[in-house]
Amino acid sequence: MEIHPNCKWNSSCFRGVMVMEVERISGLKFHKKQDVAIVGAGMTTFKRRLNETGKELSYLAVKQALEEAEMELSDIEMVVMGSAPDAFDGLHMKGEYLLDGSGGSDRPYMRVFVGGGTGVFAPIAGYWHVASGLADVCLVVCEEKMSSSHPHPQSAFKYIWDPILDRPLNPNLIWIFALEMNRYMHVHNIKHEDIALVSVKNKANALDHPCAQLAEKITVEDVLNSEPMALPVRRLDVSPPSDGAAALIMVAPHIARQITDNPVWVTGVGWALDTTMWTNRDLYFPRYVAEAAKMAYKMAHITDPRKEIDVAEPYDPFDYKELHHMEGLGLAKKGEAPILTREGVTARDGDLPCSPSGGLLGVGNPIAATMGVKACELYWQLAYRAGKRQVAKEVTTGVCQAWGDLMQVGTVVVMSNKR
Amino acid sequence: MFNEKIVDPAELRHWGGKIELYWIYTSGEAGDRFFKALRDEGKFIAAKCKKCGRVYFPPRMYCEFDFSETEYQEISGKGRVRAYTVAWLDKDEKPLEKPEIYAIIDMEGTDGCMIHLLGEVEEDQVEIGMEVEPVLRDKSEREGTINDILYFKPS
Amino acid sequence: MAVGKKDISAPPYAEGTSLSDEDIKKKKVTYVEDHPNIRYSWTAGQAVSKFLNELKKGKIAATKCNKCRRIMVPPRVFCELCYKPIDEWVYVEDTGTVQTFSISYIDPDAKPLEEPVIVAVISIDGASKNMGIMHVLGEVKPEDVYIGMKVKAVWKPEDEREGSVTDIKYWKPLEG
Repeated sequence: MEIHPNCKWNSSCFRGVMVMEVERISGLKFHKKQDVAIVGAGMTTFKRRLNETGKELSYLAVKQALEEAEMELSDIEMVVMGSAPDAFDGLHMKGEYLLDGSGGSDRPYMRVFVGGGTGVFAPIAGYWHVASGLADVCLVVCEEKMSSSHPHPQSAFKYIWDPILDRPLNPNLIWIFALEMNRYMHVHNIKHEDIALVSVKNKANALDHPCAQLAEKITVEDVLNSEPMALPVRRLDVSPPSDGAAALIMVAPHIARQITDNPVWVTGVGWALDTTMWTNRDLYFPRYVAEAAKMAYKMAHITDPRKEIDVAEPYDPFDYKELHHMEGLGLAKKGEAPILTREGVTARDGDLPCSPSGGLLGVGNPIAATMGVKACELYWQLAYRAGKRQVAKEVTTGVCQAWGDLMQVGTVVVMSNKR
Repeated sequence: MFNEKIVDPAELRHWGGKIELYWIYTSGEAGDRFFKALRDEGKFIAAKCKKCGRVYFPPRMYCEFDFSETEYQEISGKGRVRAYTVAWLDKDEKPLEKPEIYAIIDMEGTDGCMIHLLGEVEEDQVEIGMEVEPVLRDKSEREGTINDILYFKPS
Repeated sequence: MAVGKKDISAPPYAEGTSLSDEDIKKKKVTYVEDHPNIRYSWTAGQAVSKFLNELKKGKIAATKCNKCRRIMVPPRVFCELCYKPIDEWVYVEDTGTVQTFSISYIDPDAKPLEEPVIVAVISIDGASKNMGIMHVLGEVKPEDVYIGMKVKAVWKPEDEREGSVTDIKYWKPLEG
């Protein structure tokens, strides 16, 4: 392919595959007003269907976060709500609907939404509120009630496809993951067995999570023999649809000092979206995550993520996705993540624990509310409050990440228990 | 020519489609209590905040202003018209055979209100501040939804 | 609350009330079921209209940006990378290469399919590298599909075409 001299795109060659790489996050001109700490988190149990309304779920999660921070609702200055497509709950303007259960009444309140990436994007929006100095205390709430959607929660995904170019083919959303997984396996010559290990690990980790929906001891064979959905994706490669909510409280340093001696600091945030034309990209590498990570690491002064990150919560709606995202996050070289997993590096007692919470595969996947197993879990890990799930090694810095839309968005938050 | 813009509107395409989803909305913890009392006993339930004393109707499991818990209490179900409107069109903007009167009703003994239909009253007889009481569907026909109340009538 | 290394008690969680499908069927809790009838008409716009009209003629149309020199399928009226209008329309081949594929056993509502569907991202010959579209494969057994396989479009008979992506029935292996 010819490259015009004025084009900012450069082509590079990787194992014979032409990939387009682009320097997008070139300069970070961000001068924050104040540091941002997390002092409390909460979540509800994740279940296939919960009786509570979305508002009630939000309330339950917020209540837990307030309790952990020993705060009252009156201490909250601003509220960020994160929730994924309205089609699941079956309510338009879901942000407004959820307002009273999110503690947003009579306060500056906003909803943010980037599909599956929302669970980490909402804390990023919370960070803007506090880092900019607009608020000293910001509550971040994420909610999802997928069980309302029928005939199946997956049916709602039909409407994220292009109505003219894609939908006439009767696609299921799983297709897109299967296509990406197959490409990833092909380019790096990865076996399904190695990918299945992620499912085995995360579902086992979830046994220690009181909110878990699908915690179980399974084997690689169980994954490989489970019902085919869209090959290479099988039933046990996938996280379940769930109902649930999660909450986080982000505060300015002078507030954090009043609450705790050891808050967890948000040291970097990053987000990026790639083109909607997903069939025009090589899916083997999540460039959207790499760009988001680059931004977050730059802010957090991290130059060698593999060495400097002690614990990670990469987004794992599918088992291959954890591996894919580890590579995007720079925690593994391209194609190296399955090897690290096989060697036990990503186990809870490994050198780089990944998804110690049990992740989406084990705890559940209420889209935005997965903040509970990503951002909240990272906070609990770094605050040494994860109980039975606490990783074996000493931890200082961690990263959590989510992904969503049409294989498009990467959202990344770096936290540290040292300021 | 191939590079020309499409100018003939007949050549510009559009694509019809439908959202084929349907939804099942659970009433939630407070809602379930409310609708079950209405369905099974014909009673109205409200929820009082244990901290600030605000009485929510329809009931909620939490107080939205201080996030403390609430306790459920029975109320009369009667109320007063706070505001009303006469609807001539249905939700798809089709004319209704007979205009319908919808009112915001302040519920007695609560700080809350509900929107419902007024019945057994003509449009020109409705007044703001008018006292109204609920007319329920026959017990055998009640399903635990807001339509178990047929309408409110002047009391 | 003292947060720190000494305090390793696990944080509290809120227990929700779990319901099964059976609970809903038996009306253990009250709920409302809504089947809204919402219909849409999506306009295709300049680029996709032309794309669909050309499909009806049995041709695949693409757009070209003279700055980055990409030939793009599906076509668009602007180059999203150079952020400028496209410069010209070109035809591309109705052959391509399987970039990745999946064998789907489920329909959009996650119900099992009797016969699996083979879905693929096919990069189109004549377009720039990696310019692919999603479509289905036919006349091939699932176990015989591989990444890198050359395929060719199988068109519906001309009188059955309606200017839709389904005017291509499927893509079949290109022999030889």
